[in-house]
Amino acid sequence: MKTARFTCLAALAVTVFAAENNSFLLRNATVHPVSGAAIENASVLVVDGRIAGVGPKIAPKGKIKVIEGRGLHVYPGMIDSGSPIGLAEIASVRETVDAGEIGDFNPQLRALIAVNPSSEHIPVVRANGITSVLVTPGSTGGGRGAAAGSLIAGQASLVHLDGWTWEEMEIRRAAAMQLAWPVIRMPRGRGAGIEALLPGLAARRATFAEARRSQQQQVQKIQDFFDAARRYQTAKAAGESIQPDLRYEAMIPVLEGKLPLMITAVREREIREALAFAARERLKIVLAGVRRPGKTLEEIAKRNIPVVLGTTFVTPLEEDDPYDEPFTLPAHLHKAGVKFAFASFGVQFARNLPYQAAQAVPFGLPYDEALKSVTLNPAQIWGIDAEYGSIEKGKFADLIVTDGDPLEIRTQVKMMFIKGVPVDLESRHTRLYKRYSARP
Amino acid sequence: MRKNLLAAFAAALLISAFLISAALAETVNWTAIRGARIVPVNGPVIEKGTVLIRNGIIAAVGAQVDVPASAWIVDGNGLTVYPGFIDALSSWGLPQTAQAQPPSAARGAQQQPQQPQQARSWGPLDRPGTFSWVKAADLLQPADPRLGQARNAGFTSAVVFPRQGIVAGHGAVINLGGRTAGEMVVAPDSGLFLALRPSGYTGFPSTPMGIMAYFRQLWLDAEHYRQALSMYAADPVNIPRPAYDRAIEGILGARRVLLPAADPVQLERMLTLAADLKTPAVLYGVVRGYEMAARLKQAGTPVILNVRWPARDRNADPEDRESLRELRIRDLAPASPAALSEAGVKWAVSSEGLDSPRAVLRALKQSIDRGLRREDALRALTLTAAEIYGVAARLGSIERGKIANLVLADGDLFDDRTRVRMVFIDGVRRLPEPEAPAPQGAAGRSPSISEEEEQ
Repeated sequence: MKTARFTCLAALAVTVFAAENNSFLLRNATVHPVSGAAIENASVLVVDGRIAGVGPKIAPKGKIKVIEGRGLHVYPGMIDSGSPIGLAEIASVRETVDAGEIGDFNPQLRALIAVNPSSEHIPVVRANGITSVLVTPGSTGGGRGAAAGSLIAGQASLVHLDGWTWEEMEIRRAAAMQLAWPVIRMPRGRGAGIEALLPGLAARRATFAEARRSQQQQVQKIQDFFDAARRYQTAKAAGESIQPDLRYEAMIPVLEGKLPLMITAVREREIREALAFAARERLKIVLAGVRRPGKTLEEIAKRNIPVVLGTTFVTPLEEDDPYDEPFTLPAHLHKAGVKFAFASFGVQFARNLPYQAAQAVPFGLPYDEALKSVTLNPAQIWGIDAEYGSIEKGKFADLIVTDGDPLEIRTQVKMMFIKGVPVDLESRHTRLYKRYSARP
Repeated sequence: MRKNLLAAFAAALLISAFLISAALAETVNWTAIRGARIVPVNGPVIEKGTVLIRNGIIAAVGAQVDVPASAWIVDGNGLTVYPGFIDALSSWGLPQTAQAQPPSAARGAQQQPQQPQQARSWGPLDRPGTFSWVKAADLLQPADPRLGQARNAGFTSAVVFPRQGIVAGHGAVINLGGRTAGEMVVAPDSGLFLALRPSGYTGFPSTPMGIMAYFRQLWLDAEHYRQALSMYAADPVNIPRPAYDRAIEGILGARRVLLPAADPVQLERMLTLAADLKTPAVLYGVVRGYEMAARLKQAGTPVILNVRWPARDRNADPEDRESLRELRIRDLAPASPAALSEAGVKWAVSSEGLDSPRAVLRALKQSIDRGLRREDALRALTLTAAEIYGVAARLGSIERGKIANLVLADGDLFDDRTRVRMVFIDGVRRLPEPEAPAPQGAAGRSPSISEEEEQ
């Protein structure tokens, strides 16, 4: 009884606090709307969580909180286009990892409901200016596909990195369906003779033909699953009595081309197959984890297929690749006219998202594009650009206030607002910093 | 009386001596190869000469040789006589199952019954992967069909090693023919084969550092064992009896060790290890000899070159781009023999990993195309191999007193069209044998009833 009343009071307190807290005028700052050029000495008026005005001459109306922004910069909050944050806490402790359900096809799973709002990673990631994340249910993104996990891992959800419950964090329950395209997996013994290989491994080495056959079987599985889902869709549309199946039910928006299929495909061969599959099935797709698009780049651009790039802080795929291969890839995509966004595909390094984009700038990516690739581009790719991704009138006030360029490592994020509500920038990192700074 | 007895005894002695020499004289077999081009390896080529063989041993070589009337004459016109080739690291004539993999390697379930699972080892005292008491000379199988293939390619000798575990056992210099296994053996103690093959996490040692530390411990244990035995022998009354250790017994008999040196890093490790073991070393599997020649010369260590030149893995993903490093090794590896010869490193050749014995010659031809002198290639196949294993007084060249192991070919050895017409092993002629391509096919003809001619 007592607890119930306490919860009630707490909830009430939050609402009141929020209501009071999601309107303000931030003035005398440099505003970087991303959708347009920066405006100096400008103000941003936020009313009830939405941006009510941006410009140099906006006067406070009535009783509204005024925040002095002299010397500060305002940017839209950044969006990480793929991370299991909230689903995985400590990778090596199985009990803390909720990503990667067992089974080849799990489209009915929604990442959102498993997100832990109290994850220690969330404040850390926020501290660098990231306000939203596409939470992916698969075991891992990037790499050479996630063959260790599912083929269809489930629905990726867009969340705000703030909220008491996952319901409060929700932006889009289903923002994409996550599919890992099967990879021909060969052991890559580099110049190692049989002598050097472990004897057991040497005996188990699969031939290329075997590896290809097993990959083709997996591709066939995907095709079969889509065919079955289509039959379900047709039967349902025809009003036939069908046994409800959550898996096929979840596939309907994908088949209708409403929900994008986020396909992890790293190298040219997988990308080519995924593109052909999507064309055949007339699907809306987003390619994820692309590293070596090769000749498919032209087709990706022509078909306006967006790409989610993983971290740039990796070594080149092959030992003879140029050292800057991961750094120049974003510029190549940009030159080809491909829209792309960055994803961390990780938990503890999701905080490095702005620097992933920054790393591409000295290697040919225009700065404005780099900034877009973590703000407006992902909003467009995930279909939330009417409300997020830039500082424009009518959009939600997901803002960061910094003392400089947020893609610069030394820049400090001074304030953050999610839907106009100020967000705490304390994190485990700052707590530890304070604790050990105070050590006598 | 006594005098008579002595005289009778002396007479008996004389008679018996006469009888023995008469018996020996009766069994003298002379063979002469006449009119052939002779490449003795240790001397200048004789354009037309004679090799005279007496009881399986070369009695004379030269342009002018007196041939006894009783000699069996082989017409050598149009043929070239070389010393028989020696495969310096081989498994010919050994049971093929024992040579394949260590017992711990689960290569296939069907092998499990043949090789009982060894207990998991936890340290050096478990003597993991140690078979130092195994002798290749004790395992020979004269009916191995590979012996015939090897003879067809011109090989008359091989140095064969058991290959299981990390201390695999003692090698033997063998002739590739003989009525019994015992007849084949030239030297039964040609070195102890050591491998740096990790156990595959099935027990200690599972890492190269573990294996090397184990070898060091083994040799320290051997020295301790030797001292303990000699102390015990001097005073068996007061000193307790040291326990017998077959692993150590095998180590004590090692005249040399064979160690792997695939690349420069492993080379340095093995040179240090060999110094620690205080045992002369022969390095094998020297794939990157082209960049190791100077160091090898400095160390003065002979090598057995693996002439299975690296090639693209037929199983590889066709879309995989090979690294420059791999391509470089592949390109330069066949140039290793020339580099080693130029540096003055003693090197011999191993058939290891090649499909057929003939492929050894083809591989060497590749090296000749990359700058290796033909004489050096021939020397590696013959005299150098004999020198490395300390049998150069008996094998490796055509000269008086050596074992009559000879190859007669119808042209230059390294020409593709050249065919081996016959070989002599211990003076016994063997003609080329039909090779059964598939083991399940032509099994009707056993190699033991091949053309073996008695003179």
